[in-house]
Formats: sequence, C-alpha cells, structure tokens
Amino acid sequence: MAEPEAIRLAQQGDAAAFERLYQLHSRRVYSLCLRMVGNTAEAEDLTQEAFLQLFRKIATFRGESAFSTWLHRLAVNVVLMKLRKKSGKETSLEQVTEGDEEAGTPRRDFGAVDIELTGSIDRVNLQRAVEQLPPGYRSVFVLHDVQGYEHNEIAEIMGCSIGNSKSQLHKARMRLRDLLHEAVRAKAREERRAAGSASGGEV
Amino acid sequence: MNTIGCNEFLNQLGDWMENNRSADARAHVIRCGDCRSLVADLTAIQESAPSLALDDPEPSPRVWLAVRAQLEQEGLIHDGRRAPAPASTGWFDAIFAMIPRPALAAAYLAALIAVGAALVAPGSGYFQRTSSGSARWLSRTENATGPLSAQLNSAEQDTFSSFKTADPTVAASLQKNLAIVDNYIALCEKSVREDPQDEDARDYLYDAYQQKADLLAQMSDRGDIGQ
Repeated sequence: MAEPEAIRLAQQGDAAAFERLYQLHSRRVYSLCLRMVGNTAEAEDLTQEAFLQLFRKIATFRGESAFSTWLHRLAVNVVLMKLRKKSGKETSLEQVTEGDEEAGTPRRDFGAVDIELTGSIDRVNLQRAVEQLPPGYRSVFVLHDVQGYEHNEIAEIMGCSIGNSKSQLHKARMRLRDLLHEAVRAKAREERRAAGSASGGEV
Repeated sequence: MNTIGCNEFLNQLGDWMENNRSADARAHVIRCGDCRSLVADLTAIQESAPSLALDDPEPSPRVWLAVRAQLEQEGLIHDGRRAPAPASTGWFDAIFAMIPRPALAAAYLAALIAVGAALVAPGSGYFQRTSSGSARWLSRTENATGPLSAQLNSAEQDTFSSFKTADPTVAASLQKNLAIVDNYIALCEKSVREDPQDEDARDYLYDAYQQKADLLAQMSDRGDIGQ
C-alpha cells in the first residue's frame, strides 16, 4: 500500500493503513527520538506518543506539507516537551531552540585546539558528544546532518526560520568540535596515565 | 592576497559550510592554518554524522502494540478481522508510566519465542481451510500453548507469593492489569477456537501471552525493588 493510499484509508479508520504508515515511518521517528534522548526505553515511549498524536490528528491532514515533515514536527515537539518537563523548566519552543546561545557562539579559541579531528571521530564519540548538546542544537543537528533534512524542512518541523535553522546547525557543529576535542584530549591523558602506571609497575 | 581576518572569516563560516564561499574567505583559508584546521574539523563532523543513522534499530514490537491498543480503545481503528482488544488497554500506558522498564524474563521469552515459532512458522505445516484443517490447527495450537499457559499460571502464583512492594497503589494497579491481560488472553483463545486457521487470531493470542509474561516480569522486578 503506497503512502497516499495509506493516509486516505487511515483517515477513514482503516487499521491496516495505520499499521502501514507506522511501518513506513517508525524507524526514522524512533531514530530521531533515540538520538535526542539517548535512551531506548524513553525513545520508544516518545515514538509511541508521536504516533498516537499523529493518528489522532490524521483526519485533519490535508497534504499541504509532506506527511513525513508533519510527523517529524509532531515527534520533535513531543521530544522537546519531554526534555522541557525533565529539566523542570516551563519554556517555549523558541527558547528551547534558541537556548544556550552563549555556549554555541563561535569562539576565537584556536589555542586550545591542537589536534585535527579528521580520522579520529568514531560513532561512539560522536553520539556521546551529540547527547551533550542543548536540545535545540541537538534537534537541528540530528535532523540536518544525521537524517538529511534540508533547512526549509527543518524550519517547518521546528517552527523556526530557515536562518535560525542554519544558525543553530552551525553552533551545534562548533559545540561538537569542542566536545570532541575534549574527548580526544581526555583519551590521550588516560593513555599517558596508563602507560605511566604500566612502566612504573615494571620497575 | 588576504583581505579578511579570522574574525571576519568566522562570521562567514556558516556560509562556508553551506558551500557559499567568497573569494576573500577562500584566500583566508589558504593562508591561515587555524581556520583551515577549523574548517577541516567541521567538515569531518559533517561527514561523520550520517554514520550515526547506519545502525538505527527498529523500535520494539511493543510500541506498535501499545499504539494499536490505544487507538482501538479510542475507537479510531476499525477492522473486523482483528481479535477483540483488551477491555481497558490504558493499562499499558499506565504501567509504563508507573514502573521502570522491565526486561522480559529470559525463561518466559524463550518459551514465547518457541510458541510463536510453532504457531506461525511456515515450516510448521500448512493445512487447507477445511474442517479437518481447522481441527489440526486447533490441536497444534493447543499443544503449543498449553504448556506455556501452565508455565505462566505457575509463574503468576510464584510472583504473587513473593510480591512485596512498598507502594500499595502500584501493587493494586499491577494486579488489576494482570486481570485485564487474563481477560484479553481468554478473548484471544476464544477467537482461535472459533477460527483456528485465522493467522491474525493466532498472532493476537501469541501477543497476549507475551503481554502477560511481560507483566509478570515487571511485577517480579517491582517485587524485588519493594523488598
């Protein structure tokens, strides 16, 4: 069953159509949630909530935007609401996406960076670093660089301007650079310590 | 010739990464090692990011089961082929909101997988849709689920005898949910008896047993926590 047909039938309450839409999109939505919260159980709960919201509202879908964009917008909102509740702050979506500006502002801080990251980024390090990003940066980075959405789509998903999406992405990458360098330096320190204690043990 | 400095280049860095590169910015990068290094790092991050999506897992089947159960409860789904949904499927949400995510007990899971395989594996035999075929399917299904049902009942008794929790609200909720799942199992068994060759009905029966095993595992975990 193709997506447009599944949408049409789901709008009439057809169970198989709901299931088809779930099959088509669940992996991507779950992936987004997982990257955002870094926890499989929470990601599953959020995926469940996003699809429930989607199916409750599907009768109102008129096709003005792509179905996946609409679904991702719901999913991002569900995740951000969850993160907001977790942090105990009552803040607007704009504040979440704009948050932590200072930390992400490009810095003229070359002195602390003495190693190039090329070749030293593995998936585990990168995922750890992504999890440390503020939620707004994390959303845009995951949507753009991981999932391949364009800025105009992200703007629609996040409810922000295209310029804002670009700016958030740039700040996210700058922050990731700092975090990854920090991880590389920590690893180097650890290796030196290990080598030191090993040589000390032999004496 | 270098017409811009590092600060100005930083202001253009976002555009640079979007492939909007002015001649001045290009000239600066050629000349400035620090900015070249910065660009190399950001490019490495950008190029590594898609690798995060390579091993994206599927959500577990329980997500769709919960979504479907909730939609059925809210009357948003209609499908005559389906077995009846639990009388109050809100238990799924309630339980997951209340207690930590359980790990399905290994013994239960192994048994359930074996039963599921026996019920739905293509190699388990295909019978024509006849009355004798129905009888053989029913017999096969009952042979497969009988021991499992007995095991789950035994586990239920063990769980209740050792179940202790500091929170009586949690205990009451778990017991109420167990009654709902038992009711669901009974309805699914009835559907299978009525049409033993209905694959959907058998799938639902399998799901129902799995839900009970899941719930018992949760109760067991909660009991341990409460002790």
